[in-house]
Amino acid sequence: MSSDLAIESAGGERMRINMGPHHPATHGVLRLIVECDGEIVSSATPDHGYLHRSIEKIGECVEWPMFVPYTDRVDYVCAMNANLAYCVAVEKLLATDKTTAVQVPRRAEVIRVIVAELNRISSHLVAVGAMSMDLGAYTPFLHGIAQREGVNDIFEKLCGQRLTYNYITIGGVGFDLHTGAVEEIESFLAQFEKEMIRFNKLITTNTIFRDRCAGIAVISAAEAVAYGLVGPNLRGSGVDWDIRRDEPYGIYGELGVRVPVGQGYAGRTGKVGDCYDRFIVRLLEINESVRLIRAALKLLPPAAEKPADPVGGFQADVAKALRKPPKGEIRVRTEAPRGEMGYVIVSDGTKTPYRVRCRTGSFTACSIFNKLMKGIFLADIVTVIGSFDIVVPEIDR
Amino acid sequence: MTLGPAVDALAQWLSGPDPAWWAVGAAIVAVWVLPVLAVVFPVAAIGQIIERKVAAAMQRRHGPNTVGIDGIVRLVVRLGGFFLPRASQDRLVERICALPGLGLLKVLGLGQLAADGVKMIGKEDFIPAGTDGLIFRAAPYLALTGAFLPFAVIPFAQDLVALEVPVAALYALAVSGVTVIALLMAGWGSGNKFSLLGGMRAVAQVISYEIPVGLAIAGVVLWCGTMDLHQIVAHQYNGEWYSFLGWNIVQSPFLFLLACILFFGGLAECQRTPFDMAEAESELVSGFNTEYSGLRWGMFAMAEYTEMILVGCLVSTLFLGGYQSPIGENWIITLAPWLQTILHVGIFAAKFTAFVVLMVWIRWTLPRFRVDQVMRLCWLTLVPLCLVCLFGLALTMLLANGTVTGAAFGRLPAMQHLALGPVGYLLAWAIPVAVAVVLIVLARRKYGQMHPALRELTGGAS
Amino acid sequence: MTSAAPAGSELQAPSSKLDNAAIAERVIAAHPTVAARSSDNGQPYLLVPPAEIVRVATLLRDDAALRFDSLMDLTGWDLSKYPATPPSSDLVVAYFLHSLAHRHHLTVKVQVPREAAEVPTVSGVWAVANYFEREVWDLLGVRFAEHPNLKRIMTPDDWIGHPLRKDYAYPQSYNGVAHLREGQRFEPPPAPKPAAAAPPAAPPAPRPPPPASGGGAAAP
Repeated sequence: MSSDLAIESAGGERMRINMGPHHPATHGVLRLIVECDGEIVSSATPDHGYLHRSIEKIGECVEWPMFVPYTDRVDYVCAMNANLAYCVAVEKLLATDKTTAVQVPRRAEVIRVIVAELNRISSHLVAVGAMSMDLGAYTPFLHGIAQREGVNDIFEKLCGQRLTYNYITIGGVGFDLHTGAVEEIESFLAQFEKEMIRFNKLITTNTIFRDRCAGIAVISAAEAVAYGLVGPNLRGSGVDWDIRRDEPYGIYGELGVRVPVGQGYAGRTGKVGDCYDRFIVRLLEINESVRLIRAALKLLPPAAEKPADPVGGFQADVAKALRKPPKGEIRVRTEAPRGEMGYVIVSDGTKTPYRVRCRTGSFTACSIFNKLMKGIFLADIVTVIGSFDIVVPEIDR
Repeated sequence: MTLGPAVDALAQWLSGPDPAWWAVGAAIVAVWVLPVLAVVFPVAAIGQIIERKVAAAMQRRHGPNTVGIDGIVRLVVRLGGFFLPRASQDRLVERICALPGLGLLKVLGLGQLAADGVKMIGKEDFIPAGTDGLIFRAAPYLALTGAFLPFAVIPFAQDLVALEVPVAALYALAVSGVTVIALLMAGWGSGNKFSLLGGMRAVAQVISYEIPVGLAIAGVVLWCGTMDLHQIVAHQYNGEWYSFLGWNIVQSPFLFLLACILFFGGLAECQRTPFDMAEAESELVSGFNTEYSGLRWGMFAMAEYTEMILVGCLVSTLFLGGYQSPIGENWIITLAPWLQTILHVGIFAAKFTAFVVLMVWIRWTLPRFRVDQVMRLCWLTLVPLCLVCLFGLALTMLLANGTVTGAAFGRLPAMQHLALGPVGYLLAWAIPVAVAVVLIVLARRKYGQMHPALRELTGGAS
Repeated sequence: MTSAAPAGSELQAPSSKLDNAAIAERVIAAHPTVAARSSDNGQPYLLVPPAEIVRVATLLRDDAALRFDSLMDLTGWDLSKYPATPPSSDLVVAYFLHSLAHRHHLTVKVQVPREAAEVPTVSGVWAVANYFEREVWDLLGVRFAEHPNLKRIMTPDDWIGHPLRKDYAYPQSYNGVAHLREGQRFEPPPAPKPAAAAPPAAPPAPRPPPPASGGGAAAP
């Protein structure tokens, strides 16, 4: 719709605006150098690095389990999933040698899925809430944040933290579920589903909201794949791909993950792969996560006496394996809320990693910005950024 | 010296029969400016407290509720009771703060207003390098002026109107347009591109929305045959106990629609969400007032709240019988004049406050339009709708009494407003409403199909 | 869940999925210079000579049986301290490919000498490589020939050195601002730097003006 308005002014005179690194809509310290002709954007170049904390370099200097807290900082909006990605990768690395392979206890695997999906819910709540706030609706954002508090309360009882959990460890989880955790999670989910219906009535089906997202920044499936989009951004373009289902890790294979994809949900004005599709895919994934948590709670085996019990324990003994892990390399990817979180780990057989590489969804999402932000309105920039669910520490690491 | 008898008298009292310039100045400040300020701050404060409380209620949080006047009480007690021992001072402070009235003050968060005011006045008047000095400094004053001038013609009660001019409606429309210039000045003078964009958006939007607003007012003028707001209120008088049936808004569906258009146009003119293009926090940082701080920013905020109240006043005056009571107006006018005035002011305040609450409610519910959508709504929806309403109104009048000259009805009792009689009155409502319903149903059937996934997300509701 | 969202509970791997040996065979048939190797822990990969990488990449993307449409990751590491046999001081650039059409993976590696670390860019093949390669250039110092916009992405434009190289010397200051308090020392201490690396404490160069004028301060 707006692309036909992208007419340059007679003199070709452009205005250059600095959006960020501190701007209300850039979700942290992302900087966009926007060139625009009045309200119409002719280019928007992202400038990264304002939150670069050398996490990959740090990874070469700390021992294997000591890197887990740093993964929290890679993506603090979904720290559980970030923990999980690294721990699964190290476990897969250890599994390449029979002498070091560790068997994660069954109970720990189930707990991992529960906390990862809970964190996916809270991460998506931030995403959809922040997007509605970017479009000027503040109340839905606070309602989303209020629900996120419920997740944080559960996590606080579980591991003492509300943001950077450092809960999932190599070979299991840090602590067993606290007393009454199952009931807490179930009662949270019950009220959460009702709240989400209210949330959706408030913002998702709002005509103004829909009209602002529909048909904006349409990404075709081929483009989405070529630009390395992952997770909900990829599925919003109609690509049916979810690592939890297609390359299952942990117990995801038993749960039968169902994957929503973009279908032009906005109706008449919507196209597959527009901002509204990405938004709706996140909401549908929230519902799916609720279902997965309920399914996982049913699979939860009773706790055993010994922590390292292969069924009812929560933490396998990995100390020996991590002192002398196999030499070599591994690449493992997991599905975080912002899409594929892949670790490339090179080990030289010592107790510190040789190279830790973290591939995140937000980083590649930024690579398509300049292409998308041509001929749209200045106001649409925030819609696009919001629809990609950018988390800046994940870009810069 | 013809500045008004009160000013003249005060100036002469200050410095003799031929007053010096300073005496005239002091008299003007004392007689005109101070009372105006005494009105300005409470009016803006009302808007502020409504905004905060409604927002807090919608977002399920407490809102401003912790700032009482404990600190002030403590200060007064410490200073005034310095001779008392410290423990007795503390006990006294506790006693005073436990008084039920002060507790209520705390619950309402009224202390927050005082704290905000002190903060705003105490802040540095920050003027960044690169601003266009005079324009930057003058803009807030102009914004406030434009917001307050229209109140001169608003009738708050039978005899409580500052300025009775025959073209009051036109005057209100015209002087409120001054705010646009202030926004443009703020946008340009700030030397900031975000401000400039905000200022430009404001100008484009406010000027566009003045057309539907003007047309909506024109509808009332057509109906009542006068531009004097006082006369328009008087025209809506109905001598029965159900006096609301005299109001313009129930006279015709077209007037009802025009009232809605006036309200939404007014919403757009005071830059409130969903029309807050000029501020657009997430896009333009803070738009035209990005570079303002302290009291200058406060003036913009006050102007915004004042304009909200103005829109409420205009809609009430033009369509909801002004200061008249919905029921029993015929009884009120038999009361003593002072009692009448108090009741009328109260009723009028209730009406415009209701509109302010509605505006705040809308603001905290809806997302923001995009620039082009705002313009499209104005030019392609509201303006044609206004024209349709004007035409329908004229047609109704023509059918009713054979002429489209306004004021043909005079001050008649209810139900005789239209010479059509009760049946004609009902028809005048039924036919346009039926047409509108059919159009809406057709449009919903064609465009309103919701994706099944969305229906699921909203709990099965369509 | 919605009836509209595609159920597809368990997506079956398509029969067109190839294993690594078959992929390697197909690639080597077209490009004999490519070698099939496996890492120390048995992860198979293809070692491609740097000059060949664009042609191999194009083949991998476009061949109907391979169709690696997605570049999952592109990264690199420094082999100089890795206990490899034989010891090497090369830089590795690794391409992790995935085919959404056939659902198979492939790892491709390029090994370049650290003194002349240059690899042709594959950003013409997979658009996302643009960003990945900028990151590898910034942090590891592998130059990607014919890259459209090979600028530092994480560190500032005037940063000295490439932090993920194993011989990276920690800078003592940046633009004249010392990183350490008096008497403080980095752990681990700076490694003895080779001749190629830039001096750690460069004289404070005047900072180039930022690429874009600030929206906040510039006059309209």
